Amino acid sequence: MPEIKADQTLDCKGLACPMPIVRTKKAMDQLQAGQVIEVQATDKGSIADIQGWAKNTGHQYLGTVQEGDLLKHYLRKSTAAEVKEPKKFPHTISNEELKKKLASGEKVKVLDVREPAEYAFNRIPGAKSIPLGELESRMGELTPEDEIHVVCRTGNRSDMACRLLAEKGFKHVKNVEQGMSEWTGPVEQNHEKMEADPL
Amino acid sequence: MSTKVAIIASNGGLFDAYKVFNIATASAATDAEVAIFFTFEGLNLIHKEAHHQLPLPAGREHFAEGFKNANIPSIPQLVEMAQEMGVKIIACQMTMDVMNLKEEDFIEGIEVGGAVTFLDFAKDANVSLTF
Repeated sequence: MPEIKADQTLDCKGLACPMPIVRTKKAMDQLQAGQVIEVQATDKGSIADIQGWAKNTGHQYLGTVQEGDLLKHYLRKSTAAEVKEPKKFPHTISNEELKKKLASGEKVKVLDVREPAEYAFNRIPGAKSIPLGELESRMGELTPEDEIHVVCRTGNRSDMACRLLAEKGFKHVKNVEQGMSEWTGPVEQNHEKMEADPL
Repeated sequence: MSTKVAIIASNGGLFDAYKVFNIATASAATDAEVAIFFTFEGLNLIHKEAHHQLPLPAGREHFAEGFKNANIPSIPQLVEMAQEMGVKIIACQMTMDVMNLKEEDFIEGIEVGGAVTFLDFAKDANVSLTF
């Protein structure tokens, strides 16, 4: 199965409560906003604890992959800027409209600019993944004439991605306004043994 | 504002110590502001020598192995972690006087205070616990 990309891996195997949480907190303090950490633990209580911890500290719990006794929890460090910035790109589409388009069977191109670990746990079926940080260098994978629907978690990163694409000559890009945090349409994920954040 | 957790530790066994310090470190790691008031036998949990060898309850000595097998950190390790994360430790002056204990008898970095010292912290706590 494909590995989920993380900026840091933290080994908490064999540690009992509250150590996985204490170690996660310390490691998270060292990360940059927006980075993703993979916490490896064998403490079964950590599945619930990590989610509760993220909820109370404001960080984003992405999900957990279980491999035998090993639990891999994925978290993304929250950014102060996640307090919604005004979006600037004029061409947008609402979640509802995109959902209808997808349901109609129309061939719809969706570009997901979140981190690979976020994409791994819940994404619009068929969406292509290019994280915002790699967009400029990987633009060649996209066709400038296509109508591209750009999505992230809340519409901020995708807003930046849309502006970047438009600048480079893409003519029909649209920012998906609310993003995955409010997506109610169909989703897919990488593996079967995954517990995704119940959005 | 962050969550405030106020804990009273009034018992001196190993089980009591884990209840107190697990909740305290977990809270501190979750960005809560934590204070523990150690009173009566609870003072054992921060006594320089005593906190290295806290007793298991009578008839429960066999759990020592369970702690080892489950790779549970020792109480001194948990205390250190708690302090590192800013958990405030308050020793009860009145009990110290009764038991003839001095501040030097305890681990470093503690405060000594009376009931009001704790109450002042606990009055607007979101979580209050007694062990």
